[in-house]
Amino acid sequence: MVNALAPETTERVHSPRDAGSTGPAVDGRRRTRPRRRQAVVAYLFLTPTLLFFAVFLILPLGFALLLSMSRWAGFDLGDIDPVGLDNFADLFVDGSTFLTPILTNTLLFALGTVALALAGSVLVATCIDKLRFQGLWRTLYFLPIVTTVVAIGNVWKYMYEPGGLVNGVLNALGLGSVGFLQDPDTALPSVVVVQAWASVGTAILILTAGLKSIPESYYEAAALDGAGPVTVFWKITLPLLRPSLLFVCITQFITGLQSFALIIVMTKGGPGDATNVAALEMYRQAFSYGDWGTASAAAFVLFLVVLVVTLVQLWIFRRKGEDT
Amino acid sequence: MIRRRFPWFSYLVVVTGAVLTVVPFLDMVMTSFKGPGESGTLPYRFLPEAFDLSNYRAAIHQLDLPVLFRNSVLATAVITGSVLLTSSLAGYALAKLHFPGRNFIFRLVLSTMMFPPFLFFIPHFLILVHWPLAGGNDLFGRGGAGLTVSITALAMPFLVNGFGIFLMRQFMVSIPDEVLEAARIDGAGEFAVWWRIVVPQTKPVMVTLGLLTFVDAWNEYIWALLVSTANPDVMTLPVGIQLLQDYVDPTRTMPIVMAGLVLSILPVLILFLLLQKYYIRGVMLSGLK
Repeated sequence: MVNALAPETTERVHSPRDAGSTGPAVDGRRRTRPRRRQAVVAYLFLTPTLLFFAVFLILPLGFALLLSMSRWAGFDLGDIDPVGLDNFADLFVDGSTFLTPILTNTLLFALGTVALALAGSVLVATCIDKLRFQGLWRTLYFLPIVTTVVAIGNVWKYMYEPGGLVNGVLNALGLGSVGFLQDPDTALPSVVVVQAWASVGTAILILTAGLKSIPESYYEAAALDGAGPVTVFWKITLPLLRPSLLFVCITQFITGLQSFALIIVMTKGGPGDATNVAALEMYRQAFSYGDWGTASAAAFVLFLVVLVVTLVQLWIFRRKGEDT
Repeated sequence: MIRRRFPWFSYLVVVTGAVLTVVPFLDMVMTSFKGPGESGTLPYRFLPEAFDLSNYRAAIHQLDLPVLFRNSVLATAVITGSVLLTSSLAGYALAKLHFPGRNFIFRLVLSTMMFPPFLFFIPHFLILVHWPLAGGNDLFGRGGAGLTVSITALAMPFLVNGFGIFLMRQFMVSIPDEVLEAARIDGAGEFAVWWRIVVPQTKPVMVTLGLLTFVDAWNEYIWALLVSTANPDVMTLPVGIQLLQDYVDPTRTMPIVMAGLVLSILPVLILFLLLQKYYIRGVMLSGLK
């Protein structure tokens, strides 16, 4: 449905009426006054929106850019001290934790989430497509999406405890307990699992839309040729699902790069920096240490990473044409 | 009909997945009924010994739940109302009115969806702190705590939503111009045309957008955390419950935290179950929410 909307956005804006060819001259003159009044009304309708964008979009972007190139400890606007690109240099200086482990963690977190969520959602979405009561199943898989990150984070944190459900299951299988969030080696993968668990529902929904657009006749033809379900999955479903897969993959990757609420709730970046990611580091520099400059510089570096991924996404979808 | 062959494998996968999805929620509910010393102990037990309601009472008292609830409801209501109103107004202007700069503004709206939210946390917070003539500030935003002292701070950065405007515009484009023109000839002003004709026609989209916005606003955590760190009076449900979790012994109070979580997700869950058709459509439309 997203895609059905997309093409017309660019076309409808260039309304033929804007060209001013509205029939005979008399008609044109008669129409100018209402037209002008319409412009006034239009701007009235848009006033709240434009004011909001000015104060909460354009001003903040400029402010963030200024902060990223300044040193500013306090709250008095007069004390902002411009330092050029020093803040950016500080992030990448020898001994800084920003590149490793923080930025590395960010990429691992995003990649891990995408890999798990994609594998899970493809498997479940293709299977749901073959069952009855599809709505019921999708509703169940949707529960995490409508739930606050505080609930998800805390329940999983509790389940990872020595006396929690996950270790309970491990113990019942005769295995020893694992300190999932306490051990630096397992902490990041443990959080990745939760993030993937929380995003599977959305992915299933988008993949379902993709599955529904695959013509039934392809499957019938395959059945006539005697193809088994595994062959059908690899040769028909997966290739034809590629646009949806790509969309899920890239959007989830971008979301993964930016996520940090779940990490704040579950580990606060710890133990050590084992689960620290770029957005969390920005948040901590700003609101724990009051270092607006370093924080804003970190935000822009992460923004740059997200921007590059977004541009790659746009480039891929342009190349694919309208079928995405 | 190969899609329907070998359903046992599909059932196995789907049921296993559904169990994995639902079990954490069941664990949350079960834990919320556990008595003292029953949670976090070895060996792990799923079911409570007796369904103990005292955790819910404790959550309501220790959390000051009515206040948190009020703050959450207020912020969510203001955000949802504002997003619906501004999206509908702006969407109508962009879809059906002709004015210079329309193209540019539409592009601006589209571009707002590309900026990641984390980029705005710092500047938004500082802008609210330095809001002129609020919370003891002078005309130049100095001296006081600005808007961070008031509950408006919770809602301010979310009052307008680029995606909402985009969504409304896309649906309004398909309303025939003739209908609007007829109303104008009958003497209706643009405001009347919008209110009497456009708004009723876009009700299903409004429900979709309203529900998406409601769920996001109700579950919002990071911004609410920032604002309530500056001013604990405006704390919302997620922030309050997280705080309880942070400061008290986790093994003893876990059932209370879980009780609070159950209460906090209940309103959204009920709304979602009632209107899931609209929510699911919204997620499909927004693609990545």
